[in-house]
Amino acid sequence: MVGGATTKELMVDGKRLDGRALDELRPVKITASVLNNADGSAYIEWGKNKVIAGVFGPRPCHPKRMMDPYRAIIKSRYRLAPFSTSDHGRAGPNRRSIELSKVIREAFESRVLLEQFPQTMIELTVEVLEADGGTRCASLVAASVALADAGIPMKDLVSAVAVGKINDQIALDLTGVEDNYGDSDIPFALAGRNKELMLFQMDGVLTKEQINQALDMGTKACEKVHQLQVEALKRVYESKKQEVEAKED
Amino acid sequence: MAGKLVVPGETISEGKKPGLHAYSEEGKLRSTVVGLADEKGSRVIALKGKYMPQPGDWVIGVVQSVKYAGNDVDIKCPYPGFILSKMTKTEFALGDVVAAQVEKIDEAKRIDLKTPKRLLGGEILEVSSVKVPRIIGKRNSMLDTIMKGSGSEILVGRNGRIWLKGGNIALAVRAILMVEREAHTSGLTDRVAEFMKKESGDTKG
Repeated sequence: MVGGATTKELMVDGKRLDGRALDELRPVKITASVLNNADGSAYIEWGKNKVIAGVFGPRPCHPKRMMDPYRAIIKSRYRLAPFSTSDHGRAGPNRRSIELSKVIREAFESRVLLEQFPQTMIELTVEVLEADGGTRCASLVAASVALADAGIPMKDLVSAVAVGKINDQIALDLTGVEDNYGDSDIPFALAGRNKELMLFQMDGVLTKEQINQALDMGTKACEKVHQLQVEALKRVYESKKQEVEAKED
Repeated sequence: MAGKLVVPGETISEGKKPGLHAYSEEGKLRSTVVGLADEKGSRVIALKGKYMPQPGDWVIGVVQSVKYAGNDVDIKCPYPGFILSKMTKTEFALGDVVAAQVEKIDEAKRIDLKTPKRLLGGEILEVSSVKVPRIIGKRNSMLDTIMKGSGSEILVGRNGRIWLKGGNIALAVRAILMVEREAHTSGLTDRVAEFMKKESGDTKG
């Protein structure tokens, strides 16, 4: 944001600026298998966020010095397209994209069964085409579906959501404006099966009670996101099946 | 095809002994891939993924390097295969297409190939390796149908490389791609037979 007010009214008549309730997710749409050349891919529309994820591998590790003799390594790249925000950004890696690449990689390192593919690498690329708050969560969700779509064995799908504080109230899934003018933002990711924390970041000041409330709210939302991920993966095969059956009639 | 469509982390059954693409946790078996799970069994048939060699598999590869000891062969999997020159009389050159059998794969994922044969002429088609059993069919039924319909000589590598020579290759390729696309549906052999009959009739008339 360039200049302008430092505070902004984020709640109108008990509703948020986009008309959502405090514990309401933005509409999420996930499609798996959208790219032909990648081994696995996924596209997600999360509110106004548009993110595409592609996965290659496992394949021989290059450069060789990064190779781990006992397990595969994950190379992840998060890229915020210069045209994805209201101000035209600069191309190329920056502090933020390096950080997000790292947190995305670390979220998957304990979930993907890396020991099955020693000396290889799995390349994970996430491109944010349009950003409106919560892109790291949207990226994680898309990357998770893309990894599963590539047939890479993993214990779990990872689902993520951001929770924050606006007008002294805990709110789910902050938009870009809410993130900029809000008091706090906690993006976090959970393993779909046993709700283990895969990512937890936070800014702002929160009390212990508020964090617990935020985690409860986020956990429920993560379950919904997880459901959408499962549906997206299954849809790839079910739609093909229906196509064939329709052809037969 | 029988089996429930599962995703990573989804419960397959109660049990403790995980089979292929499954793991056990707190008395439950869960899938590690997107695949078809057998309700009774403990394993999942993956619907996507890279090929991992098993001893005895026939694979089709491309020679990547020529060394004194032998040749590295790209067999469309994360690791190269190796042909020991002591094991064969044939000398291979860079870019040669070979069919070979996997002899062994060790824990460091070194893959030894045996009985390599150079493939001359023909064309190579790449498909997903998980669809290969479907392309071959029960007791070769699907492959026989395609070979009879197109008149081509077809060699299917377990790694998802298919070598075709002679006959109506274009027709064979279309049939194989049709199998790949519709691999997870039932009654496919009959549909392919029908397709071959219709299409080969068209080209004649």
